[in-house]
Amino acid sequence: MTDTEPETHVPPDVTTHVCERCGRPFTDERYLALHRGLDHPSALSAAEREAFDTARTKEEEALQRFRLLALGGLVVLYFGFLMTYAVVT
Amino acid sequence: MVPELRRDRCRWQGLPTAVVALGVTWWLSTAVGRVAAHSGSLRGATRDPVAVPTWLFLLTGGGVVGVSFLLASFVTDRRLVAAIHDWARPLPAPGRIGRGLASALGVVVLAVTLGVGVAEDATGVRNLAVLVVWVAWWGGYVASTYLLGNSWPALNPFRTVAERLPTLDRPYPERLGAWPSVAGLLLLIWVEVTAPLADDAQLLATVLAGYTAVTLVGSVVFGPDRWFGSVDPLARAFRLYGRLAPLGVTDGRLRVRLPGSELPDTRLDDAGDVAFVVTLLFVTTYDGFVATGPWAAGVRAVADAGVPPLAVYFGAYLVGAGLFYLAYRAAARAGRVGAETYLSAGALARRFAPSLLPIAAGYHLAHNLGSVLVLAPTFVTVAAAPLSPPPSPPQLAGLPGWFGGLEFAFVLLGHLLAVWVAHATAYELFPSRLQAVRSQYGVTAVMVCYTMLSLWIVAEPYVAPPFIAS
Repeated sequence: MTDTEPETHVPPDVTTHVCERCGRPFTDERYLALHRGLDHPSALSAAEREAFDTARTKEEEALQRFRLLALGGLVVLYFGFLMTYAVVT
Repeated sequence: MVPELRRDRCRWQGLPTAVVALGVTWWLSTAVGRVAAHSGSLRGATRDPVAVPTWLFLLTGGGVVGVSFLLASFVTDRRLVAAIHDWARPLPAPGRIGRGLASALGVVVLAVTLGVGVAEDATGVRNLAVLVVWVAWWGGYVASTYLLGNSWPALNPFRTVAERLPTLDRPYPERLGAWPSVAGLLLLIWVEVTAPLADDAQLLATVLAGYTAVTLVGSVVFGPDRWFGSVDPLARAFRLYGRLAPLGVTDGRLRVRLPGSELPDTRLDDAGDVAFVVTLLFVTTYDGFVATGPWAAGVRAVADAGVPPLAVYFGAYLVGAGLFYLAYRAAARAGRVGAETYLSAGALARRFAPSLLPIAAGYHLAHNLGSVLVLAPTFVTVAAAPLSPPPSPPQLAGLPGWFGGLEFAFVLLGHLLAVWVAHATAYELFPSRLQAVRSQYGVTAVMVCYTMLSLWIVAEPYVAPPFIAS
């Protein structure tokens, strides 16, 4: 019944990107770049800062796509319910 | 400061979407409040101009949770999310006299409840012991732990007594973690559901005395800190509910904060802690579920086949609790896959579990507020003369029609707060905001299913559970 599962679980034979400041492993280099900029902002080298900015721009683009999808989802849900209520009640 | 947080573009993108999100969520919840009111009044057998079929009503409830997840995901400004959760103002501390008075009050109430429960023959709501336990404490006081703040550490009469007893300070078996409190919670609610504790005051006093004895023996063996910190289910439940409340102690000072804003920072210790939160949700559901028509029909059919009814109840109780826990674990694993992270499923389960607490609180309030209001005059009258209660103490004649809608609104508000807390937790956990969104897919799916299940239970007409004397 010992149940304190470890914080992280890295499967064997995968490439990890480990933060050299706190040791947290990431699946993607961009996540590591974002993590450095957000959690260790005071000690960034110029290259790390640039990596952070690039990752931010990429993240912003991906978020923009997600927002569009989410908006589409909202519209579908809204009209779906509207139609259903119109038909049922 | 992080470059990201200096970008004006982000700020202007975040703020209006947050306002719009809150507005639309509110509008949707009021719309569903109306739907719910219709469905609620169906139960009251009054005709309503528009009757919504149950499946659509359930689908709408699930839809609102899904929509609120999508709306929350539009709030992408980390600084805004953090600012909402960091807002707090210090308050003056109650001081030692206040604490002493609260402790004394707790002990006096416990003694009076035990005394009246044993000495007074009146049954049901004519007995002060029943009213203290079910109306004042279970209905009113428990609600105060999440609506105001967790005052149980000061009030807890069991602890007040236990701290005056010698202790053996035996080492607590660490490998048990929080699991004993899960078993304790399951046992307490099992007794509550199956024994006629709301009628038979003497039985209630016996259970209360049993709980007191177990608690005192436990604190003597392991020490009060360890017992109330790890094993006692009530102390753990109130501690968790207190994290949701607007008043709480942070860094040694009493502070006022936004409801639920502590939850994303709440770190649960182990899987037992997670199981406790999930069990807290499950027991509310079970309590309602055994009072539905389909359950009554099912348990009668199985009992006709020769299975002892109590075994059916108990089997469903344990299987249900297990299923709830497994469903939540599966949600955490789904979140792990969705978010592409090396954080373990256990770690994600521990971080997201506190976001379930507002749901449990919402249901508790919806289930109990009505009876607390109706029985409040009864409580005052009987408390004035506990040993010679009037033959039929006064009650509120009834609650207004919109009250049913209010109950559904509590349930929904709990869910909306839960979605927001999960959102804020995900933002704390993941460096990429898209990861944060994806990590919530599993938890959101569980919340949608749970909403639909619970709304179904609340909308089902009450059928007295067969074979048990409650």
